[in-house]
Amino acid sequence: MSVGAPGLLAQEERYEHDFESGVARSPWQLFWRRLREDKVALVALGVIVALVLAAIFAPLVVKLFGAPGPNVQDRNAVDAFGTPLGPSAGHLFGVDPLGRDVFARTVYGARVSLLVGIVGTGVAMLLGVAVGLLAGYYRGWVDTLLSRLVDVVLSFPVLLLGIGIASACSLGNGCVAGAITPGVRTVILVVALVSWTSIARIVRGQVLSLREREFVVAARSLGASNLRIVIREILPNLTASIIVYSSLLLPQTILLEAALSFLGVGVSPPTASWGWMIADAADNFDTQWWYMVFPGAALLLTVLAFNLLGDGLRDALDPRAER
Amino acid sequence: MPRPVKRALPLALLCTAVATALGACGSSGGNSGTGATADTGAGGHRGGTLTILTSQDVASLDPGSAYASLDLNVLAATQRTLYAYKPTDPTNISPDLAAGPPQISPDGKTLTVKIRSGVRFSPPVNREVTSRDVAYAIERGFNPHVASPYASTYYGDVVGADRATGGPIAGIQTPDDHTIVFKLSRPTASLVAQATVLPLSAPVPPEYAKPLDAKAPSTYGNHVVATGPYMLTADRSGTVLGTGYVPGRSLSFVRNPNWSATSDGRPAYVDAIQVRIGGSTTVAGRQVLAGRGLVLADSPTPELVKQAYLHNRSQIFFSPGGGSNYAALNTTIPPFDNANLRKAVAAELDRQQMRTVRGGAVVGDIASHFLYPGVIGFEQAGGEQGTGADFLANPAGDRALAARYMKAAGYPSGRYTGGQMLQIVGLAGAPDSNDAQIFEQALQDLGFKTNLKLVDSSVMYARFCGLPKARVQACPNVGWIRDFADPQTVLDVAFNGNDIAPENNPNWPQLNDTAIDDAMSRAELTVGTQARASAWGAIDRQITATAAAIPWLWDRQPNIFSADVRCVPELWNQGHCDFAYSSLK
Repeated sequence: MSVGAPGLLAQEERYEHDFESGVARSPWQLFWRRLREDKVALVALGVIVALVLAAIFAPLVVKLFGAPGPNVQDRNAVDAFGTPLGPSAGHLFGVDPLGRDVFARTVYGARVSLLVGIVGTGVAMLLGVAVGLLAGYYRGWVDTLLSRLVDVVLSFPVLLLGIGIASACSLGNGCVAGAITPGVRTVILVVALVSWTSIARIVRGQVLSLREREFVVAARSLGASNLRIVIREILPNLTASIIVYSSLLLPQTILLEAALSFLGVGVSPPTASWGWMIADAADNFDTQWWYMVFPGAALLLTVLAFNLLGDGLRDALDPRAER
Repeated sequence: MPRPVKRALPLALLCTAVATALGACGSSGGNSGTGATADTGAGGHRGGTLTILTSQDVASLDPGSAYASLDLNVLAATQRTLYAYKPTDPTNISPDLAAGPPQISPDGKTLTVKIRSGVRFSPPVNREVTSRDVAYAIERGFNPHVASPYASTYYGDVVGADRATGGPIAGIQTPDDHTIVFKLSRPTASLVAQATVLPLSAPVPPEYAKPLDAKAPSTYGNHVVATGPYMLTADRSGTVLGTGYVPGRSLSFVRNPNWSATSDGRPAYVDAIQVRIGGSTTVAGRQVLAGRGLVLADSPTPELVKQAYLHNRSQIFFSPGGGSNYAALNTTIPPFDNANLRKAVAAELDRQQMRTVRGGAVVGDIASHFLYPGVIGFEQAGGEQGTGADFLANPAGDRALAARYMKAAGYPSGRYTGGQMLQIVGLAGAPDSNDAQIFEQALQDLGFKTNLKLVDSSVMYARFCGLPKARVQACPNVGWIRDFADPQTVLDVAFNGNDIAPENNPNWPQLNDTAIDDAMSRAELTVGTQARASAWGAIDRQITATAAAIPWLWDRQPNIFSADVRCVPELWNQGHCDFAYSSLK
């Protein structure tokens, strides 16, 4: 039986039609269908994929555009007063005061931003989900302890805490017996430490309600272990929330990295970082605009893309949720 | 107890104060078409208000503890020291509060100074200054509540100074109201006479200041009285805090009613001086170039220098102030305990580019040793040509020579294979951070693995470069500025092995070379300008040859001011506009 041209039907009707036709769709198929129709989210996804590819293949991209490496100091690209030259055929985005190619540094800067964003968010999610699951599932003193811990961490001013940790770990062999070396690792640590709390709260709340649901009660009465209930029964029901909040947390961590680098406690030079570049360019923005505009635009585009994709994911995973 | 200059702290202070530059600590002589010669200020118009813009507050208004560049400039307009430098002669001292040249005994151990009559303190003290006020001013420098940063350095040879804690010192005598005599344990009277140009010798009335000095720390700075042409606005009791000085906001000066022009060589043209504190150097610099009656007390950014140089040529002056910038290499720990590795880094380093990122040739000459232009002994050390050290011969770097030194150090490939991570600590904020990165690049080009940390200057000196236990391998942004014209004030503390200290260590490379230390001990007691020039020039050559530090820039201090300001730079200090000589057109 023909289902007719999809484009002619309104969304709700089609779902009904599918339902009536008896075609079974998994939640993931439904999710993908909804996401596919969200053009904005798709464009954002495209931008992110392009960014990730550019970051992974940064040397290739830079070579492709005929730019020198990100740390090559071109002595001829600054004038006699030390003023860097603007965009030209040799340097698409101009150079910084050290004669380094801004295009190459912007591309390489994506590496730091995405690495910190993805790994930092990943670590924060792991931590937040674990704490949320424990607190919500066991309740009682475990919940009290963990929830107060969350409150304590939340009461720290994020940037001050970040500056403190970054300062403590940014010398020589780093801190925690050399496990946290200066640079990207320190920034990831800071980002993870300040970002996990909101996830923990959300997960705890959901677990509190899930653990009373019939399927959990059933599993428990069948003799399933706590570990099994948490991993096999409750966790899969949190997937949608975790995905949505990860995608919304990610741009925040990218911004936090930029903020830390802007304040001079992020990745150490000469590693290219958008936040550092923007800070460095701030003094002479009016005359050397290219040095701030390009990394700034890259940061804006990345954060915007992740935010829009996050919105799209939320709509697709939970169409009933209100914006 | 030889204790010459200790300018590490002030350099730190004045160079945070100038935001853009440690290097903004002056230099002299030179070429490069900076053109203008210093204005004597003669024939200026009287009246008007001069407004000074600065991003940093003063550190102290107390002549006993002030040492940063801006503080010295403020005190030069409000206080009268025994001797002072005229704006155009930063080499020879001239009498200020003193009535004539210093009288030095044949054995060099007694210094006698006659004091002018008719000089009076500003309200509320009002009375005439006596030699007893000068004695008290210097004695209180040893009071821990005042803690002069240099009292023991320059007055340490005064008999009894080693036990002084603020009370009378046996070696400072006042036979009458207008005579002060310094009895010294060593023949260093000439050096002591020169040191009186620093504000510690400005008179302080004991009956007024003693109760304030009893507090820890002393609060005399909040109630400071003046002897110079200007004074801070004060209430009836003499309190300046909250009236003439609002911390972090402003300083306001008016004419000192008790000052008499007949006994002072300073013209004091303007009626009032306002100092506005805060904001960014870039913004303030633009206001200065476009506005009226304004002077920038910070070092202008390279962009401001360029704009002024190209478009407002009459509004910028490059002062042959004083100061050399260098990169200190830690000689006590690997890898730079190896002299050949140090020389390889010196040969590799592109010092020309380090200057370019600061604004190019206008901001100074590329350094090849440590006594900088304008300091006695500069020519004897090799002058502009340098000492002949091959590793400093090419300002843009010499890769082949660097490779040869790497080979000599035991790295036949020309690249370092030691594998350890080197800790470099530099100054945050352009252009200093850019200089640090050029230095780091040179190390990486030689195969070193590096971690560069960029911090504020006070942190750099206190926690890293001046703290041997921090085990920092290299400090590319350190520098030194003279306290007065003698070469000892540039070289001694900065490179004397006896001055290595566990904290606040001013010998950043921790150079501990017996031959150099012995030569310094002899040179300290050398008398006569020419003999001192030769002795210290030779020491400069010795220090340079060790490559313990790599000199990279002798600064010229750029100053910018509004079109209607006739700026007379105080060349003896950092070279900014002198408030008591500058005028409005």
